[in-house]
Amino acid sequence: MKLRTSEYFIKELFISLKRNNWMTLASILTVTISLFILGLFLIIVTNLNRMASTLESRVQISVYLQDNLGSEKTEQLEEKIKAIKSVATVKYVSKEEAMKRFQKRLGDQKYLLSALDNTNPLPNAFEVTVKEPDLVKSTSLELEKLPGVDTAVFAQDIVEHLFDITRIVRLIGASIMVLLTGATIFIISNTIRLTVFARRKEIAIMKYVGATDWFIRWPFILEGIFLGFIGGDIAAIALRFAYEALVQKIYSTLAFFPLIPLFPFLNYITLGIIFAGICIGALGSSISIKRFLKV
Amino acid sequence: MQHKATDRIIFMHNVAKTYENGAIALKNINVSIRKGEFVFLVGSSGAGKSTFIKMLLREVVPDEGNIFVNGYNIMEMNHRDIPYLRRSLGVIFQDYRLLPNKTIYENVAFAMQVIEAPRRTILRSVNSVLDVVGLRDKYKCFPNQLSGGEQQRVAIARAIVNKPSLVIADEPTGNLDPETSWGIMDIFHRINRLGTTIVMATHDKGIVDTMKKRVIAIENGTIVRDEYNGGYGYET
Repeated sequence: MKLRTSEYFIKELFISLKRNNWMTLASILTVTISLFILGLFLIIVTNLNRMASTLESRVQISVYLQDNLGSEKTEQLEEKIKAIKSVATVKYVSKEEAMKRFQKRLGDQKYLLSALDNTNPLPNAFEVTVKEPDLVKSTSLELEKLPGVDTAVFAQDIVEHLFDITRIVRLIGASIMVLLTGATIFIISNTIRLTVFARRKEIAIMKYVGATDWFIRWPFILEGIFLGFIGGDIAAIALRFAYEALVQKIYSTLAFFPLIPLFPFLNYITLGIIFAGICIGALGSSISIKRFLKV
Repeated sequence: MQHKATDRIIFMHNVAKTYENGAIALKNINVSIRKGEFVFLVGSSGAGKSTFIKMLLREVVPDEGNIFVNGYNIMEMNHRDIPYLRRSLGVIFQDYRLLPNKTIYENVAFAMQVIEAPRRTILRSVNSVLDVVGLRDKYKCFPNQLSGGEQQRVAIARAIVNKPSLVIADEPTGNLDPETSWGIMDIFHRINRLGTTIVMATHDKGIVDTMKKRVIAIENGTIVRDEYNGGYGYET
């Protein structure tokens, strides 16, 4: 593209923005609102997704060891477990430690343990987590085959329920995002259509004097990009404030809630929303000008 | 009249166009127009003159036959090449079609901007065509400050500023009084004398009869008469 042509395009862009100042304002506002909602959903879905992942990764396999397995053999077994590809972490829990945990869990009802006469029926164990939640079942089967292992158990029904829930959350989240993106493109294309419609005579004249389609298209696409960029910026700033406020509020009341930390998460959201604004703006204006190029 | 194929600026062979609603716009059109000719296209409203002109601009593509305009094969040309065909043509309409928010100078310069001409060339060419149509001193005016005749002269300036070899005018004097019309025709005459081919659709009997140019008459979608030194009516 020649320099004077780009100069012409940019001049045309500002003339158009100024000429349709109310429309410009209205479209920026619409884009801002749509992108804000889009961003809000993005934040919510990412958080839910993360929560789901956290829960999933917390699913552990308890590997109970056979009684009287010597410390040497136990160490060997630990190495073998670590060697399994799908295993993420391995933690040894001695029977004494298990008992302490058990007592703690019982709390006020600790006296029940007195029936055991100070014997400890709990086995030594390894707590194993896996890299991918899907691998829980296969890994536990593999673990059971190892020598020295009595049983390997995990909360199968809980895992399966969790998978169902996270799958649904992700699916709904993705669908909402797609719908919102579509709606935003539609709104922008409608706004630009008004500008294009107001200038249809000019477009027809351009076609008659031999302007190429791209020459005609560029100023409108720039306009779309500009509207999307400004709207995206405002939405991103608003989202930053909103998420910061939300995180603060939640942490002051529900401290354990696993929210995604502000940074760098918000930077990604900001870039993503601005980028989405630009793309949606460009796409919206391309759609709306298409019809008017048929002269 | 026999002439070399390269002399032809417009060539139509067995051209036919039927619109989607079944109305036949044109059929059996065979025309050959040489470079430098001045041709009047006459016929009653709805006879097919507009379709004829739209085909030259490739706004309408015929269903059958062959059309060549300025070396472009209208039937088989790529959509991407349409702008280049149109750059080789100058088009003038009955309703001038100027941009109301641009000055006279900008309106004419616009035709050069869209083909990405250098700014210095634009300045020189626009001033020179405004001289040709006699509006140099009104370059700063806006279209609504000019009379109809003056606006049409701006439109002519815009049509010829890229030095097209073919100028197509669709009833350019249709909205003008006789005296102003003659001013416009004088400009066309001068452009034509410099070698530009002119195809002009018109209803103006006085102009056609006086200028004694080639006349192609279209009625009900077919050419009913094609004669040199012709007149408007059928009695000639």
